[in-house]
Parts: sequence; structure tokens; C-alpha cells
Amino acid sequence: MLEFSPINIICIVANLLILYAIFKIFLFKRVDDILLKRQEEVDEATKAADIATAKALETKKEYENKIALADEEKEQILADIKKQGYDEYERIVSDARKKGDQILTEARHNAEVENERAKEVYAAQITDMVIDAASKIAATKHSAADDRKLYEKFISEAGVDNE
Amino acid sequence: MNIKELLNEILLKDKAFIHMPFGEGRFDIYESVVVTWIIMAVILILLLILTRDFKVHNISKRQAAVESFVLWLRGLVDGMLGEEAARYTDYISTVLLYLAVSNMIGLFGFIPPTMDINVTAALSLMSIILVEAAGIRKKGVLKWLKGFTEPMAIITPMNILELAIRPLSLCMRLFGNIIGATVIMELIKHVLPVFLPVPFCLYFDIFDGLIQAYVFVFLTSLYIKEAVE
Repeated sequence: MLEFSPINIICIVANLLILYAIFKIFLFKRVDDILLKRQEEVDEATKAADIATAKALETKKEYENKIALADEEKEQILADIKKQGYDEYERIVSDARKKGDQILTEARHNAEVENERAKEVYAAQITDMVIDAASKIAATKHSAADDRKLYEKFISEAGVDNE
Repeated sequence: MNIKELLNEILLKDKAFIHMPFGEGRFDIYESVVVTWIIMAVILILLLILTRDFKVHNISKRQAAVESFVLWLRGLVDGMLGEEAARYTDYISTVLLYLAVSNMIGLFGFIPPTMDINVTAALSLMSIILVEAAGIRKKGVLKWLKGFTEPMAIITPMNILELAIRPLSLCMRLFGNIIGATVIMELIKHVLPVFLPVPFCLYFDIFDGLIQAYVFVFLTSLYIKEAVE
């Protein structure tokens, strides 16, 4: 077994190359094919997951935008409603003020009219009393002292009536 | 029987297995070549059985075991070769498996092919061709030739000598270890044929066989790694 034989060395080299081909074709390639297919599936699943994630993020963004928009709209509506409420309040208060002023003016006017009417009634009463007194004086003789008494009596009667 | 007779019996026995007529003379096919053919046939049949009906999903235990084994083997060889020489993984794995089977085939009553120096010489020749081819492929012919003058021009003869020394050392290391193990086993069998050879057989036929296969492949990978760096 210590003798070199080129023919046998060539045979062994050929055997080794054939064995390499056998391993390559029947073991490594078959396993590689399976691993490659599996890898492709994983890649596809990863890609699909990435696409789904991107889509979900996009939807989330859209949703957030919509929420932001709705918030803005809500704020706007609230502001409008507040403004309307304030305007209504102002209008009601102003109407009430105007009505109050009007009532006050009417009341003052009524009071003045009533006052004038009362004054006219007093004036008529005084006139009647003066006529009455004058006719009494004309009908009776009287001295200066009687005139004075009569005058004081008229004054006191007029004061009682006025009270 | 003394050691000399034993060595004569192991080393100098007629190893021709097939005599082929060639022109006026003939050439002999050695037993190691025939055993290698047997190994190849067995491996082919095993691979056909083990790798049939491979599926992507719902794989069988057999497929899982084969896939795990291939991944483990590639991881082991890739670790030795490095990233830049990863393309040679399949060849190195083939050599590792062939050597492992060859070194352990004594368990089945065959003479290990690696006991024939022609086999180890062929393996070493292939290894050194692969190492230099990897270097030329990576660096180009000029850079590869320039590599012989590195790190300094004075050691160029040494570097050229390495072209012969490396395959010679690979060849002789493997051959010597296997022959040595066989001689020791024969001596043990002569001392006590029963019981005693069992643990030694486990060591020399299994453990040592695998270790020698690993060493051969490890050194070849190391040379390839050096060549492509």
C-alpha cells in the first residue's frame, strides 16, 4: 500500500468528483431548493405583512385626519352655537331693556296725565268752593272778622281735601 | 507475529483487486478504489431514500433530520472556511463525509480506503489544486504569483516549496494516522482477541476516524481561507 499508482490516483480523483456531484445533486440541491422555497414564502409573507402594515398605517392616518377634522368642526359648531346664544341673550336683554324703558316712559306719561287730571279736578273743586264762598258772602252781611274766619275755614277745608 | 511482520502484512500485501487488460499489458484497480465505489453506491442509495418526497410544509421527521444535518454540516464547514470562501463549502463537506465514512468503514469489515496512500495522495492533490485555484480566482494570476514573494522576497523558495509540502503533509498525516490506528488495533487483537479490542475499536475506528477526517478538512479549509484573504 505504499506504492503510488497514477491510474488509481486518477480513479480516486474521478470518484471524488462523482461523489461531489452525487452530494450536490441528491442532497445539497434538494435541501437548498426546499429552503429557497421556504425562504420565498417567508419573504412573500413578510412583504404582504409590510404592505398590510403600510395600508393600516395609512388608514390610521386618514382616520386621525378625520378625527382632527371632526374636532375642528366640533369646535366651530360650538363657537357658532356660543355666538348664537350670546347674540340671542344680547337681543333678549336689549328687548327687555327697551320694553322696560317703554313701560317706564308710559308710566311716567300716565302719571303726568293723572297728575294733570288731578290738578284739573282740584282746580275745579277750588273754583266751586270759591264760587260757593263768594255766593255765601254775597248772601250774608259780614264784618272783617267774619271774612277772616271764612277765609281760614276755606283754607283748612282745602288743606283737608288735598290730603 | 512481530511488528515488522505485521507492517509487512499491512503495507506490502497485494492490493490489486481488479486486473484490467490494457494494450499488451494490464493495469490494476486497487481495493481502495473498489471500496470507494461501494461507499459511493451506498451513499447514493441512502441519499435517494433519505431525500425523496421533500416538502415545503408538513415535513417528515426524516426530512427534518436531513435538513438539520445539512445545515449543521454547512455551519461547521462555513465556520472553517470563512465568508469569502463560502463557495467551496459543498466540496469540503463532501470530502468530510467521504473521509468520515472511509475511516469508519472498517466497522463493516472493509479495509478503509484511507489506508491506501493513493487515496490520501489523490485527496491531497485535489485539496492543493483547490487551494491554489481559489487563490488565483480571487487575486488573479499576477497577484497570486506575487504572493510567493510575501512577506519578503527572500522566502520565495520556501513559499514555492510549500506547494509540495502542504499536500505531502496532508497526505502523510492522514495515511499515517489510519495506518497507525490499524497497526495498534492488530497488536491489541494479538494480545487479547476478546473484549480488549472493543473499547480500542470504538476509539480508533470511530473517534479517531472522525478526528482525522476533521483535521484533513480543517487544514484544507485553512489553506483555502489563507489563499482567498
